[in-house]
Amino acid sequence: MILDILERSLRERSPLIPVEALWNTCEGSRLPDVDPALLTPAIARRVSEICPTAAFTAREESNRMELKLSYGECIGCARCIDVGQGAIVAAKAFPWTGVSKQRLVRRWSVNDRAEVQVISPESEEARKEICALLGRALNIRQLDSGSCNGCEAEITALTNPHYDLERFGIHFVASPKHADMLLVTGPVTRNMAEAVKLTYEAVPAPKLVVAVGACGCSGGVFAGSHAVVGPVDAVIPVDAYIPGCPPTPAMLVSGILQVLHQRNGNR
Amino acid sequence: MKDRRKPGDLEPRQGSAGAEFSVPLAQGGKPARLVSLFGSLSESREVVVRYVFDVGDPDYQIIECRVDGPLVSITPRLPAAAWYERELHDQYGVTLSGHPDLRPLLFHENWPEEIHPLLETPAEIPWAKRRYPFLKVQGEGVCEVAVGPVHAGIIEPGHFRFSVMGDVVLHLELRHFYTHKGTEKLFEGSPADSSVMLAESVSGDNCFAHAVAYCQAVENACAVAVPPRAAAIRLVGLELERLISHIGDAGFLANDVGFVVAHALAGGIKESLLQASASCFGTRYLRGVACPGGVRTDLDAKQVAMLRDSVTQAAREFAALAHIILETPSVQSRFETAGVLYQNFAEELAVVGPVARACGVDLDVRRDHPYGHYRDLQFEVPTIHYGDVLARARIRIQEAAVSSRLICEALGSLPPGPTRLSVQFEGQRQGLSAVESPRGELLYWVGIENGRLVRCHIKSPSFQNWPAMPFAVAGNIIADFPLINKSFNLSYSGCDR
Ligand code: SF4
Ligand code: SF4
Repeated sequence: MILDILERSLRERSPLIPVEALWNTCEGSRLPDVDPALLTPAIARRVSEICPTAAFTAREESNRMELKLSYGECIGCARCIDVGQGAIVAAKAFPWTGVSKQRLVRRWSVNDRAEVQVISPESEEARKEICALLGRALNIRQLDSGSCNGCEAEITALTNPHYDLERFGIHFVASPKHADMLLVTGPVTRNMAEAVKLTYEAVPAPKLVVAVGACGCSGGVFAGSHAVVGPVDAVIPVDAYIPGCPPTPAMLVSGILQVLHQRNGNR
Repeated sequence: MKDRRKPGDLEPRQGSAGAEFSVPLAQGGKPARLVSLFGSLSESREVVVRYVFDVGDPDYQIIECRVDGPLVSITPRLPAAAWYERELHDQYGVTLSGHPDLRPLLFHENWPEEIHPLLETPAEIPWAKRRYPFLKVQGEGVCEVAVGPVHAGIIEPGHFRFSVMGDVVLHLELRHFYTHKGTEKLFEGSPADSSVMLAESVSGDNCFAHAVAYCQAVENACAVAVPPRAAAIRLVGLELERLISHIGDAGFLANDVGFVVAHALAGGIKESLLQASASCFGTRYLRGVACPGGVRTDLDAKQVAMLRDSVTQAAREFAALAHIILETPSVQSRFETAGVLYQNFAEELAVVGPVARACGVDLDVRRDHPYGHYRDLQFEVPTIHYGDVLARARIRIQEAAVSSRLICEALGSLPPGPTRLSVQFEGQRQGLSAVESPRGELLYWVGIENGRLVRCHIKSPSFQNWPAMPFAVAGNIIADFPLINKSFNLSYSGCDR
């Protein structure tokens, strides 16, 4: 039996996806992007009305209109894409993962049909630096603070042969005491709040905390529930955010590498 | 579905004195299976309790009871009602006379007493410090082992308290609801057509089953039949979700006995299906596909062919892998006789899904209460009677084969036409619907008023099955617990909601 497996493993091509193909991609997340050239006030109003989590909001002030998109709140329901008449499209390149809360927010001037304060996607330089980081050990402790398990399912996928996070020297560890990074999913429920704090305290300093998913970033669809305390940063300090509901494995890999890259730059 | 009480049937009565509740009988004179039990508020804000039974007909039987004063607990006669009645007490503050265990279920020590959010939610819920007494197993040599809520590995939170004698588990007590998010309350007041996204976030890995169950409940309430093409696409999604789930489970079971190569291979097969799903439906886990009135995503001929090829190939690879897993002697010796759940326990606790079918309980919503495109297709429902980990692994492997065949059949004859109808929501409406999710019977009951939900009750298979797991664990060594737990593969979030 074991020989059958061995034979099969040798015969088959490795399904491993190269890091270049994962970097900054988000296929399967349905997170939106805006094509400013096609943006009109009517579309901006329509998407902000239809968005169920207020990820899209339009603000009008003395004849000027601004459309704001906060990825931390977006659940990828694609309703905005349905009504966006081509101005709202599914995002292709997606560098807004593993970043600070401010960088999850984008703004467009509807009058000027242009993005305000464009934060350019990671340069080729950064990608090279990140590749140079690979191979250094990072221990991650995943913590579910009340998620629906969708985020867990995608984090689990990181260990399958297509993504194989171990190739980057990144391991999931069993104890918070062995961890460098806490990867926290879900809105923090009232019933989990204490356990989340205790787990955070158990991770030795210096520690990185990454909030995962719409729920972890903003509370997602559970924001405002009487049984939920809030997003992860309502309970413990958070260094970076990975949006999506759930984030795809590619977004998780990019996000984790991005956090490492940022941290490397800060040292 | 309709109330099918016959004249002369007794109703549940108020008060402890002379209380009588006649449990409807199924064929053969056995008490009918309790499917669910939940409260809601009437227009005059009285609590109404509904008992849902499966009497063996395609329609579920609902018994309604208005509450004023204490309600007589049915748990002493139907142990399957135990958690439902605790939940009813937590949510609505209904007093249940004769219930053997009314400790809080949903709310942990930091919730004040007398909070009943579905009756009314105060703007601010103060933090409290209460005590939660666990059952004490006493005697010489008995030790307690407490595990969780935070576990090693990428798993959801829950607390397990074992009383062990040496290696052997005498008793296991569960303390769950760490992921309780007040979801049923969140549904209240939200628009019926977009709340499907909340249903999708009840249990993320089975989100399509939740979405379809929710949509069907809304459609039943509004008397809408989805177009045939939508029904067929839903069937494809439901079976794809089952296939993905069962392949993953088989891999995790192998992993738990140290067969990591099989785990990696299963993970690879599962991933290929998730990628196929992303290219056909736009999302890996079929989020945002179902909507009241049909589906939001149509499949073109190329996608149909591509999905068929992926499913056929995955099914072939998985069958070969499953054969290797089941024929490996070290796997057999760990799986066999571990974590036996006896049929009579399963029946008393109204266990559903693959766990039930692995111990001889022949239930499947797709066949017993057919819905959608399942009405038009023929398929077998495998059952096994020995109820151990091996049986639960085998049943999933057999079901995966059925699922892949159903997907190919449905894709091979997708009816033409529209994929979505618009649904009109005027007036007051109620609807119920169940689907067979990968974990078993999943039921939604909705009350709608002018397009907004006034109540949405979710009976998840995990809520039903968790109380049975301790009976499968008792008598086993504690080291086998992760394996037994995995073989049940219950959702914490689905249970806790
Ligand atoms: S995809 Fe995101 S931004 Fe668009 S409507 Fe849905 S939640 Fe709002
Ligand atoms: S972000 Fe989405 S997938 Fe993740 S826990 Fe929240 S609802 Fe589930």
